[in-house]
Amino acid sequence: MEKLSYDAIVIGGGLAGLMAAHEIAVSGYKVAVISKVFPTRSHSSSAEGGIAAYIDGNSDPNDNPDYMTYDTIKGGDFLVDQDAAELLSKKSGEIVRIMESWGTLFNRQPDGRVAIRYFGGQTYPRTRFVGDKTGMALLHTLFQRVSGLDIDFYSEWFALDLIRDDKRVVGVVAMEMKSMTPAFFKTRAIVMATGGMGMLYAHSTNAYINTGDGYAIALRAGAALKDPEFVQFHPTALYPSDILISEAARGEGAILINNKGERFMVRYAPRKLDLAPRDITSRAIITEIREGRGFPGGYVGLDLRHLGEDYIKERLALAYEAAMNFSGVDATKEPIPVRPAQHYYMGGIDVDITGQNPDLIGLFAAGEAACVSVHGANRLGSNSLLETLVFGRETGRTVAKFLSEHKEEDSNNLDKEAEKVVDDAYKFVKSESGVHFGEILNKLRNVMWEKVGIFRDEDNMKDALSQIIELRKMSSSMYVLDKSSTYNTEFFNALELRNMLDLAIVIGRTAIERKESRGAHFRTDYPERDDNNWLKHTIAYLKGETVEITYKPVRITKWKPEPRVY
Amino acid sequence: MSEEEKEIVIKIKRSSKEKGNWWQEYKLKVDRFTQMTEVLRRIKTEQDPTLAYRASCHMAVCGSCGMKINGEPRLACKTLALDIVKKYGKNEITLEPMDYFPIIKDLIVDWTDFYNRMFKVKPRLYPSKEVLEGKADHRLKPEDQRELWKFEQCIWCGLCVSACPSVKNDPEFLGPAAHAKGYRFLADPRDTIFDERLKILIDSSWRCTYCYQCFNVCPRDIEPVTTIKKTRAYTKFVKEKTPVSLTGEKHAEAIAKSIEDTGKIEEAKVYISTYGLLTAITDMIYAMQNGKLKYALVTDTKVKNMTQIRKIMEGE
Repeated sequence: MEKLSYDAIVIGGGLAGLMAAHEIAVSGYKVAVISKVFPTRSHSSSAEGGIAAYIDGNSDPNDNPDYMTYDTIKGGDFLVDQDAAELLSKKSGEIVRIMESWGTLFNRQPDGRVAIRYFGGQTYPRTRFVGDKTGMALLHTLFQRVSGLDIDFYSEWFALDLIRDDKRVVGVVAMEMKSMTPAFFKTRAIVMATGGMGMLYAHSTNAYINTGDGYAIALRAGAALKDPEFVQFHPTALYPSDILISEAARGEGAILINNKGERFMVRYAPRKLDLAPRDITSRAIITEIREGRGFPGGYVGLDLRHLGEDYIKERLALAYEAAMNFSGVDATKEPIPVRPAQHYYMGGIDVDITGQNPDLIGLFAAGEAACVSVHGANRLGSNSLLETLVFGRETGRTVAKFLSEHKEEDSNNLDKEAEKVVDDAYKFVKSESGVHFGEILNKLRNVMWEKVGIFRDEDNMKDALSQIIELRKMSSSMYVLDKSSTYNTEFFNALELRNMLDLAIVIGRTAIERKESRGAHFRTDYPERDDNNWLKHTIAYLKGETVEITYKPVRITKWKPEPRVY
Repeated sequence: MSEEEKEIVIKIKRSSKEKGNWWQEYKLKVDRFTQMTEVLRRIKTEQDPTLAYRASCHMAVCGSCGMKINGEPRLACKTLALDIVKKYGKNEITLEPMDYFPIIKDLIVDWTDFYNRMFKVKPRLYPSKEVLEGKADHRLKPEDQRELWKFEQCIWCGLCVSACPSVKNDPEFLGPAAHAKGYRFLADPRDTIFDERLKILIDSSWRCTYCYQCFNVCPRDIEPVTTIKKTRAYTKFVKEKTPVSLTGEKHAEAIAKSIEDTGKIEEAKVYISTYGLLTAITDMIYAMQNGKLKYALVTDTKVKNMTQIRKIMEGE
């Protein structure tokens, strides 16, 4: 097997990974980015609304970083590590300024300064944006910037597994998708920046590539996930493509209606109505559909018609265009078909505010792949783009410092280990008969959606977990029909499924254990938040079929938990 | 809201190193909402896992799923199956890999050459030292932001290049996507390497034939051809001109003069002004041999109201 050597390897070419790679490269270290897609195809490109930032001299005069921190903590239902949220707020203005200086075309105020808009959960408006394509604008800026640096890109390379010794990571085995050739990347530091896992759910606003690879790779290497039970659902995803229709639509006055034409939110949130928080609205929509008041296929209507054609096209251009292009619906003439969909994963590889994982020396993570924890139990809008860049940068800097302090050490039998990783990947799918990935995948996505989704309870989740374990067993005899040694996507889809199953078992088990409702984790059998017993982070390891769970305290600096009332 | 399902036939041009090329047919039910990426996903997970294609965001911002759908270069995600059925009046949809790019497998093509072209134009802002060091901030007028953002929205999908005839014929032509990207930075008032960018772009900009295929197929309405036109307008600022840009510039001047004099484009005169008498005579022999000389010798009469035409030209 070919052997390559780098000071650091970043896995994932989205915003967090590229920012980390930037910091490592400018510190003078040799770094490579391994990504299963060309970087501009990453899911970061899909982010719409904006990036939250307090900018000195260019923010609401009443605002300050403390308000921003408080909003984030309250939004996260007090499961947020407060030092992390403080850091996020403090660095927000600087990050936006850097991205602007590198060329991001932020929308402007008439005087030429970067403009601001309101977003859910903000005390003052502080979201910076580029039309409704903020993620795309930031991703292209950053990729273009780092493409001018001395960084090696291994695009369309699939990371299989990490190589470790007793206590350190020493490399990663990845495979070039085009030639199906594996290579062993020896390194002292690995940054997991592999993004989220939306494909675990039958309905998700995520890209097809979001299969939770990084979480599973970390778990198999012996690292823990933090708060894996917290999965965010967004109430208004376009039917049936699940493309996000921004909260801005309801902010402008759009109304959710059922198949009887009723404004059903009257029953669920009499005061806030359609502008109730994401979790309440998601639960309301699902209830309507389950009780037979949805439209055939399973959705409700987001009615904009009363706003008038001009207003819709001016103020809600994206909602209008998305409905037109992807659902063939003219939002000025009929309601937009929407339903809740998985949107974001608050859980992730356990790291501290420097991006370092405590289980394995040399393992780092950033972005959605990581749980720093700035989002706690529920993420606020426009905080995820901010997190990718702030913590991508912090992590890159930590890695540079780490590299200066940790010299390379000899490790034995590495080549054998690397061979074993490739063998394991092939073993997993080498049967001559059995099931195809699609069959298991569809079942997994449905069981996660039905039983570990918006509403949860012990019986359903236990049932789901046993089904997941069953599917995982089935997967060991999975077989790949395509025997081609060129760009064998069936093989990679099967490996993605292996990753999804490893993650699913951890989500299922930890969700059963958390016997309270907090943020996005809503239990019908334990509907209240329980700070006495559950104001703590879940830390989960995967050992075969067993999920080993411990807990660690939430870091609280100055904001005491209080009821989350809006 | 009705939601009728309809069975359609998908014919996909497949290819692999091991098996060569073949067409394969699939049947599946779709409704009015079904995107072509969803058609592909369902074929792969439910019918034939060996089918290879790329797709990521399914909302037309990542540029992964470019292919030919019934012969048209399109993003699969931005194409609804039943819209194509309606447009072509038949239940069968064909899918093929994009033209121009080497095929790797099935619908997956090799983008390497395309990426190299994009990197050639130095696709990144080179801000001033003061701004980079945080000692100064950029200000950008909202109207400049709007203008640049139009061209910045290129998602590197390659559809324009697959549709461009010039890129196939002329290896020196950078192609529409690289020109859009190059112009986006050329026009950015915050950039500091204007001369270097011009040098990269000018010669190539005169190699475009203005066929508008890039304009037609771009899924983000970037109008790459517009950026090429705008780039050409900068030729006068270039110190060392290449033969192609010199000829191009002369050609544009000759056309302008011809219209100013007669109100028309006098092809023969424009040709001589552009290429010089010697080349014109050589080419004339060629034209004679092919029986085309009569077109060169047509004499035109002036347009009557020349003052109006000159007014229009000055207004521009």
